[in-house]
Amino acid sequence: MKPASTLSSAFLTPGGQSLPQPLLDLRAQRGTALADMPLPTRKTENWKYSSRHLKLSEELASALPTSGKCGPALAVPGYHVVFHNGVIVPEACELPDQSGITIQPFAELDDSLAAELAERLDNTLDAEAAQLARLNSARFEDGLYIRLAPDAVLDQPLFIISQTDASCSGSAYPRLYVDAGRHSQLTLVEEYISSGDQPALVNAVSEFTLAEGAQVTSVRLSAEGENVQHVGATGVRQQAHSRFDSHCVGFGGPMRRHDLQVRLEQSGANCRLNGVVVTQGQQHYDNHTVIEHVAPHCDSEETYRNIAAGQSHAVFNGRIHIHQDAQKSNANMSNKNLLLSTGAEIDTKPELEIYADDVKCAHGATIGQLDKQSIFYLVSRGVSRHEANTLLTMAFINELVQQIPVESVRETTQIRLNQFFETTFEEA
Amino acid sequence: MLSIKNLHASVEGKEILKGINLEINPGEVHAIMGPNGSGKSTLSQVLAGNEAYEVTSGEVLFNGENLLDKETEERAREGIFLAFQYPVEIPGVSNLQFLRTAVNAKRKHLGEPEMNAAEFMKLAREVSKQVDLNPDFLKRGVNEGFSGGEKKRNEIMQALLLQPKLAILDETDSGLDIDALKVASDGVNALRSADRAILMVTHYQRLLNHIVPDHVHVLAGGRIIKSGGRELALELEEKGYGWLGIKDEDDAPVAG
Repeated sequence: MKPASTLSSAFLTPGGQSLPQPLLDLRAQRGTALADMPLPTRKTENWKYSSRHLKLSEELASALPTSGKCGPALAVPGYHVVFHNGVIVPEACELPDQSGITIQPFAELDDSLAAELAERLDNTLDAEAAQLARLNSARFEDGLYIRLAPDAVLDQPLFIISQTDASCSGSAYPRLYVDAGRHSQLTLVEEYISSGDQPALVNAVSEFTLAEGAQVTSVRLSAEGENVQHVGATGVRQQAHSRFDSHCVGFGGPMRRHDLQVRLEQSGANCRLNGVVVTQGQQHYDNHTVIEHVAPHCDSEETYRNIAAGQSHAVFNGRIHIHQDAQKSNANMSNKNLLLSTGAEIDTKPELEIYADDVKCAHGATIGQLDKQSIFYLVSRGVSRHEANTLLTMAFINELVQQIPVESVRETTQIRLNQFFETTFEEA
Repeated sequence: MLSIKNLHASVEGKEILKGINLEINPGEVHAIMGPNGSGKSTLSQVLAGNEAYEVTSGEVLFNGENLLDKETEERAREGIFLAFQYPVEIPGVSNLQFLRTAVNAKRKHLGEPEMNAAEFMKLAREVSKQVDLNPDFLKRGVNEGFSGGEKKRNEIMQALLLQPKLAILDETDSGLDIDALKVASDGVNALRSADRAILMVTHYQRLLNHIVPDHVHVLAGGRIIKSGGRELALELEEKGYGWLGIKDEDDAPVAG
């Protein structure tokens, strides 16, 4: 048997050294640990459908240049932090000036805070389920550390714009850590975009810890170009009565993967995970979610919708794990899928693992096509086929789009969706 | 206005229409009656352009042009309207959005300016009252959670909005109680005009008490076997389809 391949040494060689020592140490340690990690193949269960799309060629190993010009000024209203190829651009940021809210680039942390953070990084993510999140820990050159003191409430959403400038080939490793104190509240928007047309890899990791009663809304928009592979992970740990709301919107690419892992660790914690993915052409998108019901009396509600056109491929793998002590858990998972062409493929796998005996747990997965009767009904009123297809496809995801609590993200999403409809449903 | 000549059509390889001939002039109201399975709904679907039905021979001219060559949406924009027997529920698409898209598609086709959201809302509210539908229906998904009667009234409302040249009503009376039948019929009667024709397809006679036809045709086995005036419907009511030597699969009385 051919030995499993591992990451080349070039991939394990981090760039930029301008981080506090404890974080440099962590990075080196993770790099060493990764040297023997076999890369996922199609025999790796949770990479079954995606391993062949992941192309970690040598040209991607080097970090994308972080100096040089930042992209065009972004017209982002309100608070925002800009990552350029994985490194924060301080002059492009606008931060809140509110007591109890501290937002700092990793590079600016003092050694004691950095040591504290180094202890916590990766603690929200299961290394086996999200192997490549560890690559980020071996490579990040900067990151954003957000701390909310107890009762602190950020008064408007904070946008994290992560732009990848792929004028040359290489990779970027944006990192985020959110520590939400007791009863604090935060809405955070992560937008992943790119410019340039050279092959690039974005390996982004975001972590959230929610103390008792904290409420965090996370919006994640993945919309990089056709030359960019994106392998991202989000880890969440929740204490009593905290609430985590997630809205993920993903547009396909050559390789797109998002692992979302939520641990409900104390009773009364609850989460809602919404996801919308659209793919076309030869694109690929893979969502892997894990909800760990560790404590009793926690609720989770998960709704993901995939739409695949052309020859594209979408994957949803949703795991709910109800631990033995997690009595009175309430877990709902729905995954509906829409195939817009005969060449498209969607693979969906709900995985329920239940060890408690007094729980409510429901899941449903469907795959279908646009309903011919509905199309006929619409066109029999003079509506064009293009418009009928668009209306029906939008109807499939509209509810989830409308639930995104940030208007500008809803607008951006709609604009991108309109482009998708425009190219998918060409006028006959 | 509409001229059907020797029309044959089949669905899934089975021939349903076996040579239909029919002439409809502007201002006329025609009723096609027949037992279940006679081909009534097939005729409506073929005229509206449902691709599930294949026309195997024959010709249909609409205002002198070959109707069968035109796409479904084009037929609609040029004035064909089909009120469905079973209107489709489309959750997630609001009635208002759907109706405005339809009205504007037609206006654009006719070279008229499109209506903006406010103008359309005003018009739609007025028309919804005409068929006794609460304007709140406009905000809901197309036919989503509507009762049978509400769906049928929504169909008539669409006809009133789109002002077709030929309105085809497929079993518009089925599933309606007496009051709803009255409202729907009033809506249809409001459509009657010298330059518009109406083709009603029905199993029962009762609709014809409210919308009085100029011509009645009996369809059986995919052919029109008898045509006459209003009195033909009354005669059918009295004697049943058996009178014409037709077996009604339902064995139901013709009067509703």
